[in-house]
Amino acid sequence: MEDLVCPLAVLPTAGGDREGGGSRSDCVSMAALDLRAELDSLLLQLLGDLEELEGKRAVLNARVEEGWLSLAKARYAMGTKSVGPLQYASHMEPQVCLQASEAQEGLQKFEVVRSGVHAPEEVGPREAALRRRKGPTKTPEPQSSEAPRDPLNWFGILVPHSLRQAQASFRDGLHLAADIASLQNRIDWGRSQLRGLQEKLKQLEPGAA
Amino acid sequence: MNAHEGRGAAQPSGNRSPLLRACLYGAGVFTWRPCCCSCACPGMRLGELRMPEGGVGPTGSRTAEAGLQWLLVLLGELCPAAGMAGRGKLIAVIGDEDTVTGFLLGGIGELNKNRHPNFLVVEKDTTINEIEDTFRQFLNRDDIGIILINQYIAEMVRHALDAHQHSIPAVLEIPSKEHPYDAAKDSILRRARGMFTAEDLR
Repeated sequence: MEDLVCPLAVLPTAGGDREGGGSRSDCVSMAALDLRAELDSLLLQLLGDLEELEGKRAVLNARVEEGWLSLAKARYAMGTKSVGPLQYASHMEPQVCLQASEAQEGLQKFEVVRSGVHAPEEVGPREAALRRRKGPTKTPEPQSSEAPRDPLNWFGILVPHSLRQAQASFRDGLHLAADIASLQNRIDWGRSQLRGLQEKLKQLEPGAA
Repeated sequence: MNAHEGRGAAQPSGNRSPLLRACLYGAGVFTWRPCCCSCACPGMRLGELRMPEGGVGPTGSRTAEAGLQWLLVLLGELCPAAGMAGRGKLIAVIGDEDTVTGFLLGGIGELNKNRHPNFLVVEKDTTINEIEDTFRQFLNRDDIGIILINQYIAEMVRHALDAHQHSIPAVLEIPSKEHPYDAAKDSILRRARGMFTAEDLR
């Protein structure tokens, strides 16, 4: 309570202590008013975030459902066992990754970015030299810094269009998932801020509580 | 440094400024790589261009494409200065076959002999202990930013989800084919619902 005393209250006044006491209560009520205003704006922001979260969730669910439907169509075209865990590669590298940034203290924001760059396909011989028609040719080992392989290639070279559509739907879903995760963090952060402000308000106005 | 010095993996001539240097050569972009103390040509970095005989710089649409891609890489390298992680975090997924296959198609999968996978396909014979162990492993990993989990699976390990209070990794509950999304069961929304009491609203 003492650290919330208005600095004006400690200045000497012509009326003595009585006026100083009145100024102190005015300062407290001013501080309470400011806190209430801050609480209101935080509450409005939280409600807006919740509404946005609900909207993005609905879109994410729709994208995921579209992806399932496309996967089912691809399975119908390629065979029941042709689209599933049996086709997963034994070595995978992520094509997309998450960039996490801290906007404010304790507030994380996520963004999905593509990891690495795709090297354009090089057509033609690598070296301007004669090809050896006899003898084993030693192909160079692929460098570890190569671009990650498209997961579509797990399922064959010519995949049906529905599988590409499924990939597009789930990629959209990943971007939405990052937005939703950021919103969830913001809501949690806002919740903790709200509780802190409510505690301060209770200290200022114990009678009202 | 003139344009000719930037070709190939040229060694710096002396001025080793720690600052990031970028210049445009035609449509190519060069950058300073302090980790290896060298300048790199887009072709060398990306591995797709080969210098033709005669020492004449690369021309044509490939150079333009390489330059644009290199600019994107350069911007990515500038991101750490803005507070963003260098490599980025992974997205993990725990779900049924279709959910995991779909998100792996999206490109989030990581699997190699040195590291554990960042996904788990939950089948009929997958036990709750396995799911919980995998979930806790994902929570303890520093390289995972988001965990996607089907809501019906999240219900099996609800106690572990509710105990997780950190902002990273974020846990997102998603629907499954047989179980649509129910907002009433979501941990985050349940916490938000309990934000206010009648006393707070006086």
